[in-house]
Amino acid sequence: MNAWSGTILRVNLTSGAISREATNRRDAALFLGARGLGVKILTDEVDAKVDPLSPENKLIFAPGPFTGTFAPSAGRYHVVTKSPLTGGIAGANSGGSFGADLHYAGYDALILEGKAAKPVYLWIRDDKVEIRDASHLWGKWVPDTTDALRQETDEDAKVACIGPAGEKLVLFAAIMNEMHRAAGRGGVGAVMGSKNLKAVAVVGTNGIRVADPKAFEAAVLKGRAQVAANPVGGTGLGTWGTDVLVNILNQIGSLPTRNFHDGYFPTADKVGGESLKAQILVRPKGCFSCVIHCGRVIKVTNPKYAGEGEGPEYEAAWCMGPDCGIDNLDAIAKANMLCNEIGMDSITMGATVACAMDLYEAGLISKEDVDGLDLHWGNAETMVKLTKMTGLREGLGNKLALGSYRFASLYGHPEYAMTVKKQEMPAYDPRGVQGIGLEYATCNRGGCHVKGYTISVEVLGQEPKMDPRVIQGKPAIVKIFQDLTAAVDAAGGCIFGTFGMGGDDYATMLSALTGVPYTAETLLQVGERIWNLERLFNLHAGFTSKDDTLPERLYKSPIQTGPAKGMISHVPEMLPEYYRLRGWDENGVPTEKRLEELQLADQLVGA
Amino acid sequence: MEVRYFADIRPLAGTDEEKRPAAPTVQALLSALAAEKGPAFASRVLEGGKLSDAIIILVNGRHIDYLNGVQTPLSADDVVAVFPMVGGG
Repeated sequence: MNAWSGTILRVNLTSGAISREATNRRDAALFLGARGLGVKILTDEVDAKVDPLSPENKLIFAPGPFTGTFAPSAGRYHVVTKSPLTGGIAGANSGGSFGADLHYAGYDALILEGKAAKPVYLWIRDDKVEIRDASHLWGKWVPDTTDALRQETDEDAKVACIGPAGEKLVLFAAIMNEMHRAAGRGGVGAVMGSKNLKAVAVVGTNGIRVADPKAFEAAVLKGRAQVAANPVGGTGLGTWGTDVLVNILNQIGSLPTRNFHDGYFPTADKVGGESLKAQILVRPKGCFSCVIHCGRVIKVTNPKYAGEGEGPEYEAAWCMGPDCGIDNLDAIAKANMLCNEIGMDSITMGATVACAMDLYEAGLISKEDVDGLDLHWGNAETMVKLTKMTGLREGLGNKLALGSYRFASLYGHPEYAMTVKKQEMPAYDPRGVQGIGLEYATCNRGGCHVKGYTISVEVLGQEPKMDPRVIQGKPAIVKIFQDLTAAVDAAGGCIFGTFGMGGDDYATMLSALTGVPYTAETLLQVGERIWNLERLFNLHAGFTSKDDTLPERLYKSPIQTGPAKGMISHVPEMLPEYYRLRGWDENGVPTEKRLEELQLADQLVGA
Repeated sequence: MEVRYFADIRPLAGTDEEKRPAAPTVQALLSALAAEKGPAFASRVLEGGKLSDAIIILVNGRHIDYLNGVQTPLSADDVVAVFPMVGGG
């Protein structure tokens, strides 16, 4: 097959059986790969009601057709499973080069099922696949695991692994590849840990067949030039990293502060991208085939928080910073490095500490409940300590490992959790930026910005520019962004490529690569198909329209200070139009007609 | 009034933020800044005398596109923020 390897690798960790099957050509054309193919496989094979940490859940790694080509920033792979954090679909993608090697090894997807009797890792060199003992690696942190596996297998091996957090079933554990890149959200690392699977190491040496090499080369060079010429894709992200967003979100009054009590943090500049560049940046870093280089290689010399690593991204800088009332960049960088080394989603980690601080400040948890630590707003030392304690499930960390919703519920106050579908919301206050609130409320994987990043048009000046404070037109733009992002994810592209490329550009590249004629319109339909299939999985899992909402705080407690003072979110007013545009009924259930149009008729709810 | 600069605009402006006498409009402020800060600042912020598409101007936290553009009137207690186009996620 062009673009697709044509083979899916299946590994049953219970029995040790390793098998291969042909990639379904229809599924490949309809769902592309990565997120799309992963969701298709999961919904076909896994009952949405299974315990996510049971052997009945499956863990799917999938590159997309772009992955490993020289398409702009084509290094992404997706991990799809049922989330232990939300109870719904989990789809977490990551960059680096792991996905490229998995594709080169000859696989469109790797399906991991069952549970190994003891810790194991998977070693893949093209068509040679081994399940190996990992007892000696259990307990090791991500850097040591990665180094050890490169020594044991191949110095060029790309390693995706879990750290102690995944082993100990922290509900927001990440899968880390090449030490610093994370399939971060939704607890995919906990699912891996539940299967006693420590790592996947892969070396791939095959090529990717291109349907029309000349047309693909022309389309790719055009796309790369467009991203390079875009002010954000070309120079902005590479120079400043994503953390540059701290100041612009703060200046519009929509930087969530102290667990979303406020939207403005007076000393935010101390943790923004400008400060990061001046104080701790060693160099920018890119993923496979990257045009952008938004990664930050850093070194912290402050003895209290010293270390070398990568990050923090904007989201981590926010949740470990202003969301906890903290403006200490060194401490934030340290906590972020701990998340990478122990293997945790930094967003949920920081936001869960913020929730704990909020409960503490409100007197709802006592000093005895928190191991004698001082959880007042702004205590950077406590935030760093709690990060490590959570990853290792020590003391209070054992409770924080449940995420903020379950943590706050332990004390009878789930309303203190700033979550959607039990996953923590990211770094854009939906009271000041209305469209992103609708994305949070409706995202299939719970509180998430990146699957429908309307911030581009609401805040960052990308076309079509839209006033962040109004709700008119937002349901339509949210839907378009969600569908386009699903398609880009499924192709194996980095969403930052959309800073310079549009649907037509992706369609032209994909058509030349695959030989399947895509247009911007049919690509959006691929995305919509994926979105609806994810939605169906969640409905089968038990979610209803009541879950398409934000925490009450964002409807009832206006932003207190700064430029967006007095604003609240208006998600409930936008939701009916969003459902209508999606072709869903008033309960948020896809209609039979819409599913037939999307060639999902065999996936009907209740079927 | 107060003017705040961010990302690569900062070194071009020579400062992170400054207090200034109020200008009547955003356009007047930009013209004054271009003359005062020098050609590197001017060419980054203005194109042919008009505001560059690659620059974002906020007045009291509101993008000027949702006010009156470069004709947005300014007063002594306003805060103006000057950003290049940035991104992330």
